[in-house]
Amino acid sequence: MAKTISLTLKVWRQKGPNEPGRFETYEARNISTDASFLEMLDIVNKELTLQGKEPIAFDHDCREGICGSCGAVVNGHAHGHERETTLCQLHMRKFRDGDVLVIEPWRSRVFPVIKDLIVDRSALDRIIASGGYISVRTGQAPDAHALPVSKEHADAAFEAAQCIGCGACVAACPNGSAMLFVAAKVSHLSLLPQGRPERWRRVQKMVRQMDAEGFGACSNHYECEAACPKGIRVANIARLNREHLLAAFRARLFGEYPDIKVLPPSV
Amino acid sequence: MRVNIFKYSSVGKKQIVAITGLMLVGFILVHLGGNFMLFGGPEKFNGYAEDLHRLGPILWAARAILLVAVSVHITLTFSLYLENRNARGTPYAVYADFGNTTFAKRTMILTGGLIFFFVVTHLSDFTFASKTGPRTVIPGVNGDASLGLFGLVWMSFLRPWRVVLYIGAVCMLGMHLSHGIQSFLQTLGINHSQWTPYIERVSNLIGVLVALGYSMIPLYVVIRHLTVGVGV
Repeated sequence: MAKTISLTLKVWRQKGPNEPGRFETYEARNISTDASFLEMLDIVNKELTLQGKEPIAFDHDCREGICGSCGAVVNGHAHGHERETTLCQLHMRKFRDGDVLVIEPWRSRVFPVIKDLIVDRSALDRIIASGGYISVRTGQAPDAHALPVSKEHADAAFEAAQCIGCGACVAACPNGSAMLFVAAKVSHLSLLPQGRPERWRRVQKMVRQMDAEGFGACSNHYECEAACPKGIRVANIARLNREHLLAAFRARLFGEYPDIKVLPPSV
Repeated sequence: MRVNIFKYSSVGKKQIVAITGLMLVGFILVHLGGNFMLFGGPEKFNGYAEDLHRLGPILWAARAILLVAVSVHITLTFSLYLENRNARGTPYAVYADFGNTTFAKRTMILTGGLIFFFVVTHLSDFTFASKTGPRTVIPGVNGDASLGLFGLVWMSFLRPWRVVLYIGAVCMLGMHLSHGIQSFLQTLGINHSQWTPYIERVSNLIGVLVALGYSMIPLYVVIRHLTVGVGV
């Protein structure tokens, strides 16, 4: 029989974006240590529903750590204290019987709370829309070996491409900066031949959009790297900085100013 | 919404902060070297100061560049600091770091601000103080005649509060540099899987050495004064 633990949860409850929020205390009793964190919340929600209370709203989708939907700050750690783990892949065996867990949404002015633990992360989508793509005509998939890509670049691009856009980097950053997210996207695209033609304008457009959204700036605390469930490294931020510096030089030297239109932040 | 491309982005601002910061690090190292002339006695130390002043317009140009670097460094960091503070919104009820951030990293704005105020007092104490006045006389040495800048420094550090203030300030400076130097490289895009861990250690080491190096000046004066005296 599976081991069970009981916990006290202090959960941020907020009815809507413009409502004041506050912490509510709940008891999570007899939780199997094999349950995931989200399953534990499901169990608590079932009880709340049976009591006629409003269940705790939280984002989730794949529950296998690859979609980037879930996430909450547990006792001050984005996605909980376990390294390289999304909240859905964090299991209750990582907690002890009697633990008190403070569960909060990502805190960022750019991520307004929609309800309880759900935040609006559309700012990240607008950063992608500003330049995080490659402009190609769609059609037949090209042969895998049609474009030569070095092993080093393929590996680095793949590592960066693991970013699931969950926003934990923003939540963990003392400055509320989205640099790790933007850096992962810039790196993944600019390292591959398909992304090269738009390389210089991409970095400028994405950084401008990031600034317009109101994210903070990186001051190299590197908390994002530790919080990232995909282990995206801050070396990508250095690459973003490098690309940005080169793009700025090219702009000054060759007059290569991209036509930057910042999408209006919706919030 | 269109963007003025000449308005600096957050990344651009940080890169300017990094470059001006490096200029100031350069000054700090040169200044430390100059301070070490104190160990050579009054003639050596005052001679070095006179040589510097003989540079005339070059010295003033260097000072002007430093003033611009300081102003830009402080203005941009302060503007970034305000933006960063504003980015969080509702604060966390519980915030725990993963251990990647350090005390030195979290207190950059504080150490930077305190260093600035120290530099202001330091300039009025030494750079712009009279080099021939009564504060430059070490009683009982050199026939009670002025010992120039050497005498000024010597007499200043015979006051315990100045020693404490000075050592405190240079420790802040060392802490600021320990993060500043490694940050400079990252911000300009230099991060290497093998070298960066060593760069971080070297950056911390430079911070410690700068703090120790500058601390040696007041300690030398105090210890020497209490033991063998000025020796002239």
